[in-house]
Amino acid sequence: MQFPWIRLACGVAAVALICLSPIPAQEQRTATPKIVAAANTFLSTLDAKQRQSVLFAFNDNAQRARWSNLPTMAVPRAGISLKDMNGGQRSAAMALVASVLSPRGFEKVQQIMEGDEVNKSTDQGPPGRRGSGGPGGPGNGGPPPAFARRGAGNGPIFGRDLYYISILGTPSEKDPWMLQFGGHHLALNITIAGERGVLTPTLTGAQPALYTIDGKTVRPLGQESDKALALLSALDENQRKNAILSYQLADLVLGPGQDGKTIQPEGLKASGMNERQRAMLLDVISEWANIIHQSAATARMAEIKAGLDDTWFAWSGPTTAAPGKNITAYYRIQGPNLVIEYAPQGLGGDPAMHVHTMYRDPTNDYGRKFAAK
Amino acid sequence: MKMKLTAAITIVLTLGMPGFAHRLDEYLQATILSIETNRVQFSMRLIPGVAVSSGVIASMDTNADGVISESEQRAYVEQVLRDLSLNVDGHPLEPRLVSAHFPKIDQMKEGLGEIQIEFIADLPPGGAHRKLVFEHRHPSPIAAYLVNCLIPRDRDIHVVNQSRNRNQSFYAVEYTQRVGRLDAVSATGWSGIMPGALSGFGSMFRLGMRHIAEGTDHLLFLLVLLLPAPLFARGSHWAGFAGLRQSVVHILKVVTAFTVGHSITLALAGLGVIHTPSRPIEILIAVSILVSSIHALRPLFPGREAALAAFFGLVHGLAFAATLDQLGLDRWVRIVNILAFNLGIETMQMVVVVAVMPSLVLLSPTRAYSFLRIGGALFAAVASIGWIGERLLHIPSLVDVIVDGIARRGIWMAAFLFLISVVCWRVPTGVFFRDNGPRRVI
Repeated sequence: MQFPWIRLACGVAAVALICLSPIPAQEQRTATPKIVAAANTFLSTLDAKQRQSVLFAFNDNAQRARWSNLPTMAVPRAGISLKDMNGGQRSAAMALVASVLSPRGFEKVQQIMEGDEVNKSTDQGPPGRRGSGGPGGPGNGGPPPAFARRGAGNGPIFGRDLYYISILGTPSEKDPWMLQFGGHHLALNITIAGERGVLTPTLTGAQPALYTIDGKTVRPLGQESDKALALLSALDENQRKNAILSYQLADLVLGPGQDGKTIQPEGLKASGMNERQRAMLLDVISEWANIIHQSAATARMAEIKAGLDDTWFAWSGPTTAAPGKNITAYYRIQGPNLVIEYAPQGLGGDPAMHVHTMYRDPTNDYGRKFAAK
Repeated sequence: MKMKLTAAITIVLTLGMPGFAHRLDEYLQATILSIETNRVQFSMRLIPGVAVSSGVIASMDTNADGVISESEQRAYVEQVLRDLSLNVDGHPLEPRLVSAHFPKIDQMKEGLGEIQIEFIADLPPGGAHRKLVFEHRHPSPIAAYLVNCLIPRDRDIHVVNQSRNRNQSFYAVEYTQRVGRLDAVSATGWSGIMPGALSGFGSMFRLGMRHIAEGTDHLLFLLVLLLPAPLFARGSHWAGFAGLRQSVVHILKVVTAFTVGHSITLALAGLGVIHTPSRPIEILIAVSILVSSIHALRPLFPGREAALAAFFGLVHGLAFAATLDQLGLDRWVRIVNILAFNLGIETMQMVVVVAVMPSLVLLSPTRAYSFLRIGGALFAAVASIGWIGERLLHIPSLVDVIVDGIARRGIWMAAFLFLISVVCWRVPTGVFFRDNGPRRVI
């Protein structure tokens, strides 16, 4: 009588054991060594001079904060750009970036870079297109004359090869070190501390926020837009009253240069959401938290989930979007260890086509919680 | 996705021409406040966009020599500070410049320059609750303002409310601080503390009043429950007037029971002892209105209205607590605030009861009362069904709009009701309605 029950229990236990324990453990064991190996491979492809420009001291706070949403000619980045690498070096660099990110995170990064390539190809169009009254005039969000001139004189100011990589400290499986990768509309600041990986602060942006490549429509930050709008639409009238702010927000509040600040949260608290809405909120957050590789992302999502009751969702701007396009509203998600901002950029053009986003952990930007010894 | 070097790239929208992530036709003015016990620090960033930078530069470079000299910088900063209106609890504050940093004029021309101004304002000693106002006196049409405050480092200071106008040129922050400390007492004296402490109490009190005045569902529940209060039930019908004393006692019992009920859950939820999601509560509130409106039509539980009021009071209290929760107060600040908030609710509730009770008592002995009772109950029933549909199944309805519209004219409705009831009471009922039953039971 009891025999099948015991067998069933053993079976379930065995399956549970297989499913739960070894795989995540293996993931955690392998992520950092893989990253360190990729970093060392990349460094070995560089000559001495290049290596010198890539490597910084781990405590170089000026280099830590040297990132921006702006094109690299406007705010010069340090490190070495893909443009100044040969093919082998370039693929080693991208392999290193891929090793710290999830597949979807890496894809997002490539789509942002590809968007800048679209920018470049449009920028090199006939000069008449930027003439006064044309669609690209200053009033329409086209490049200002000062940039256009510079672009023509000193080579392209956009493009997928104008992204810089730098390493702070020495790639190690035990001691903390940092990898930075960024350029126009992208700033990844990744701290690796033992098995831990920290992605904050990270900036993503997109312009154009919607483009077609080989017949395929790409929206690099489309999920960030759509999932948040879905959450807003799932709120009832009372919740919306709290979530929707009564004032305009023209830009990121905690963008580049605003490290270490924690503003008073506003909007609707997740403790006032139902289970479905809370799951949707987590899903929005995952668009940033899951950019990093899986084991680090899992730990990060657990941390965010633990503080979910004290996490706020605030919205400012239109509550609908044109089908297939990004929202034109600003939103912010703020929790005990999280700040996400999504800020469409009007700049005289179509705000649905240009967005900046910020992802921070006020308690752990640049992994300082783990890096401090 | 692979990186593609050659690609058939097309821009989907011609409007989406390449542009930059810097300001173009706006003058971004972002300020972050940091509140301390005796001072506020302001960190301001001014970024003129490329399309407007020439005008901004011209206003700085007053001698138009292409250089922004130190004296021109100073003059510009002074102008910026002069243009601000700062006050705490109505007392004007004097900004004190700490530092100013100007970018290169070329950077500014390209819309990349960021002027950074740090300044401080000393706060006079004040009470437990303060309101700080930061306003751009002459908001510029090209400016885009951003104003925020940091979570105070001092754990005894808690921001309770922030308000802004649409373009953020006006910003007010209300916060509470501890004044029980000896230094605060000696610095201000009791006379200094009391108005502040009372104003903190006062703002929560007002919030409580506003909450129930605007939270029409709470009032509707209470009013509908009061409708049959002056009557006595006979079998499954509402019979006649129960008598003046009986009516007043009954109304007071119902109101008190409701108060006791919601005070209990408001305190428990406000202090974090119990935690409930808001949606089921909102639905239960709508159900409570439906139940009380059915009761007003046909006695469901005659004589036990107080128990019903107390039970649903528990539910309504949970909704009140959600409002407090949105303020994000810390537990210990909450105790005083819960008290103030609850007293605000009670006061507003009493105002409403006092406004309608005479009408109910006057009208209930007349035959006209059944029109009010049945009409009111049917209205509440329809409204509650609308709310249930909205809150449970997300079916949009006009209930909120209609009920809010009526509530906004509450004073006139109450006055009109009173007028009618005086008329009905004075004029022998026989004139309007045939008297065919016992009216007065006293």
